[in-house]
Amino acid sequence: MSSDTATITKAAPAAGTTTAPRTGTTRRRRRPFGPRAGLVALAVVLSAVSIFPVLWMITSSFKTRTTVTDGKLIPTDLTWSNFAYVFTEVPFVRWLFNSFITAAVVTAVALLFHSMAAYALARLKFPGRDGIFVVIFSTLLITAPVILIPLFVVVRTLGMLDSYAALIIPPLFNAFGIFLLRQFYLGIPKELEEAAIVDGCGYWRVYWNIILPLSRPILSALSVFFFLANWNAFAWPLVATNGADLTVIQVGIASFSTQYGANWNYVLAAAVVAVIPMLALFLVFQRQMVESIKTSGLK
Amino acid sequence: MTSIVPHTAHQPQAPAADAAPSAGGRRLSRTHREWLAAALFLLPDGIGLGVFVVLPMFLSIALSFFQVSGFGSYEWIGLGNYQRMLNDPYFWSSIWVTAKYVVVMVPTLFCVSLALGVLMKQKLPGMAAYRTAFFLPHMLSLVVVGLLWKFMLDEQTGVVNKAASALGMNPLSWLGDPDLALYAVIAVTVWYMMGYYMIIFLAGLNEIPQELYEAAKLDGAGTWTAFRRITWPLLRPTSFFVLIMTTVAAITGTFDLVFVLTSGGPANGTAVAMFYIYQQAFVFGEYGYAAALGSFLVLIMVALSGLIFKVTKGGRFDDEQ
Amino acid sequence: MYSQRREHTMLQHGNEAVVPAAPTRRRFLGAAAAGAAAAATPLLTGCGGPAKADGGTLKFWYFYDAHSPDPSDRARAKWFQDVVKDWNADHEVKVELYYVPGDSYQGSKMVTAFASEAGPDIFLLSPGDFLRYQNGGILADLTPHMEKGVIEDYGSSLDSRMVDGKVYALPMEVEPLAMYYNVPVWEKAGLSEADIPVTWDEMLDVGDKLRAKAGAGLVFQTDPGYYQNFTWYPWMWQGGGDVVDENGKAGFDSRAARQALSLWQDAVQAGIAPRTMPAADDLLTSFTSGLAGMWQSGIWEISGFRTSAPKHKYGVFKLPVPPGGKYTTVLGGWSFCASTQGRNPEIAAEFCAWALGGMNDESVNRTVDWCTSSKSDIAPRASALERAAKKGGYDFWAMKKFKEEIFPGGRAEPRYPPVVYKAVSDAIQATMLGGKGVAGETDRAARSIEAFMQSYEGASLI
Repeated sequence: MSSDTATITKAAPAAGTTTAPRTGTTRRRRRPFGPRAGLVALAVVLSAVSIFPVLWMITSSFKTRTTVTDGKLIPTDLTWSNFAYVFTEVPFVRWLFNSFITAAVVTAVALLFHSMAAYALARLKFPGRDGIFVVIFSTLLITAPVILIPLFVVVRTLGMLDSYAALIIPPLFNAFGIFLLRQFYLGIPKELEEAAIVDGCGYWRVYWNIILPLSRPILSALSVFFFLANWNAFAWPLVATNGADLTVIQVGIASFSTQYGANWNYVLAAAVVAVIPMLALFLVFQRQMVESIKTSGLK
Repeated sequence: MTSIVPHTAHQPQAPAADAAPSAGGRRLSRTHREWLAAALFLLPDGIGLGVFVVLPMFLSIALSFFQVSGFGSYEWIGLGNYQRMLNDPYFWSSIWVTAKYVVVMVPTLFCVSLALGVLMKQKLPGMAAYRTAFFLPHMLSLVVVGLLWKFMLDEQTGVVNKAASALGMNPLSWLGDPDLALYAVIAVTVWYMMGYYMIIFLAGLNEIPQELYEAAKLDGAGTWTAFRRITWPLLRPTSFFVLIMTTVAAITGTFDLVFVLTSGGPANGTAVAMFYIYQQAFVFGEYGYAAALGSFLVLIMVALSGLIFKVTKGGRFDDEQ
Repeated sequence: MYSQRREHTMLQHGNEAVVPAAPTRRRFLGAAAAGAAAAATPLLTGCGGPAKADGGTLKFWYFYDAHSPDPSDRARAKWFQDVVKDWNADHEVKVELYYVPGDSYQGSKMVTAFASEAGPDIFLLSPGDFLRYQNGGILADLTPHMEKGVIEDYGSSLDSRMVDGKVYALPMEVEPLAMYYNVPVWEKAGLSEADIPVTWDEMLDVGDKLRAKAGAGLVFQTDPGYYQNFTWYPWMWQGGGDVVDENGKAGFDSRAARQALSLWQDAVQAGIAPRTMPAADDLLTSFTSGLAGMWQSGIWEISGFRTSAPKHKYGVFKLPVPPGGKYTTVLGGWSFCASTQGRNPEIAAEFCAWALGGMNDESVNRTVDWCTSSKSDIAPRASALERAAKKGGYDFWAMKKFKEEIFPGGRAEPRYPPVVYKAVSDAIQATMLGGKGVAGETDRAARSIEAFMQSYEGASLI
């Protein structure tokens, strides 16, 4: 517990008085090729590098079985057959549906649970708070492979194997969200809720009417993260379910590569289709994700 | 089948602490009301983490005292697995690989994500497109990531070597050379994760009141000074979070990438500890031994996180006691 | 403190509600979980999944996808479905197929299921895993259910699936390794059939010529794993070396092992063999895209070419031999097994023996169909091989070559336990890709194998 952040907050405006040597001119006029143009160029170049493998994936998904790995970026022979195959020959829509249900339910329920827990850990005072936080935090250090078999046994003992419950319930509980939200809630100005509590609002109302609306940006980011994590889940669904009805998208895609060689063209086509919903989700949420908290909106 | 409980359904179940204190009955003091509320808020996650994470972990620790053939036959051997661990050169070399991995990967990922976050905070035209481009890699599944980079990094046909030879460099076998493979895996990991942490940094940056920058500007502070005196200190909770998470991910979460890129090769050059544990458990069926290694690794991470907590003072805001 | 003990007791699986107290008993984990998580839930043992009312159906896990993009894969899945349909037609206890994706088949899913007694009743097993399962007491004895004369009919292809004269797995197929060469690249390099290498040196020379025309002149498996070891053994055997000699003694430190390691090392260091697999380990695409000239692989590639690139010209030849060496190749292939953990091991064993281990026409024909129409493999039983040849299953030039030249002189894939596998794998990786000295690595592997053998108590390694 240090109080230096607070002092810095106060001191920051004054920081300028300990003058940074002024460089350049005091002109405020934007130069046409100033640092901004440089930043734009940088952003463009970095984006291109970041996105290149994805472009390669998209173009390769239009190649045939025999040319898919020829290393060319532009396919010599375009074909839609990989996509046609994916939607006609395998129960791809069913896989998408299973993944969607799993990811959506996990995201919604986990966000509620995690934000509740994070609110208590960040905003309420009770004995043993730090101890409980440390315990919750330490569950982050426990990794799936270490507990895969015992987890399987627990889930089986609870009679949840081979059901949506097996796909949904265990992934709900992950300290990542609690930890991130707690870090975030620590930064929300206290005055907001203290006023409400003095007014006699209960804790639930404070949480529901003040904290949750305030955390919209971070909840948006988390919902994208959670949805993605569950959309791309492979190891647990593979172990926890049998049979075609509960196959999720990643396990389905895995079935395109066999013991005797892989059909990379189908894998890539399926992967392209699987990414589209995620991209849509990201585009929908990104505005909220990056918007600042508007404290002024609070009466 | 679980059904989605609509949010509204939760409101009637609001913690009892919500009840107006004048509603008769026993009145709790404010302090106790707060305790009760906290308990109820923590309940769902507490139970879930207990049943699905903590309990399996304890079972795993219990397992580590047994010799398990992988077929459910258990034989009590006490600390036998731990003794074996001490004398297992493979395990220690995998710890060494992990250490190298962490030391290189964590700072790199941290700096790249922070730089991207700061870059994305500038008001540039086409921001949404850049953000999407940086986050896009993280939308792919690991199997596909492994496949893509196997092609990108291929010695003969890979685009990386083609670009390198255009710059007059010799082609290298990025994934086939023990000295390079780990760094290739790190580069892919950074590419895969940077958009994710960029978003987290952005959220943190957005929390910093804009007025501070305005004030600093009026005082004539330069960009760098503003970063050092305002951004960096106020970003501490986020930085702390990212630092911890990337360290944990480097130790535990990356073995899937190793799996799809190199299978731990060449010559064990990318066999990180988690990969070795996975191999012991799921390839060799030595489940008791794997449980011992896993428990040990979790211990190491507890110690490491404790250290990070101590050094960064928990990265928390000052909280009145 | 490391020995694999055999379980001598066959454990009964009733629906015991009583949890054994002794922690040395099985179901310790389940008991603990039950105690902690569900307290009073009596443990359902022995069978996977929740207690569905499935009247004791036996679960058969396999990895051929009925929805595969590859028509031959679909045909393989259909073969399994037909076997199960035939069985279910006149047996009271039914068998049900479950598809598990190929790459994950032997990995986490199978291990997790078996470790918590939710494994399949019937499953497929590769030779490399045989001993681990056998020592774990998981494989049911199939001998009592097999008809007279079947063991002789299988001949040596059954050796690696037997322990103390009892059969624990029935092979469906035999898959020899050979060298494939890419005709278009071969011609570009000005080579003809006359240039097919017979010795190691000739192979390296040809590889060197091909390298200029294709990225990879000669492809050996580079990814560490059971499969890489499997492809490396024949090069050692050809020089008369072995990991474990016929008396069960460790003998890895031999000239033959060193020269086999050197072969792979030289090929990589001269740039003839690549350090990573071309086209993400897909021979077919590498050949059609002209990325590789020669590639060591198995008979199964034939059906791959047949379905996906029927026009592409390729050739096959026997593995070349070292000076003074003797031709040998390695024979892989999967087999049917029954689990002792299942709800009815007797019937599961009976199913395996009924499917593949009968002397009747149906049983023999199943193997014939599998090896020649569903796949392109050598049939493991003499009678089936003869019948398949009569039907024209080996008329195709590549199949003929495999049957007549490549398969004779083959040796079954070894069934070494994990420690031995790892020692050999590390030697291969360190010399081939790590550039380490061959002598030192051979010595290190030999010592590690020897130390393991001294405390090993399981079934014989050979």
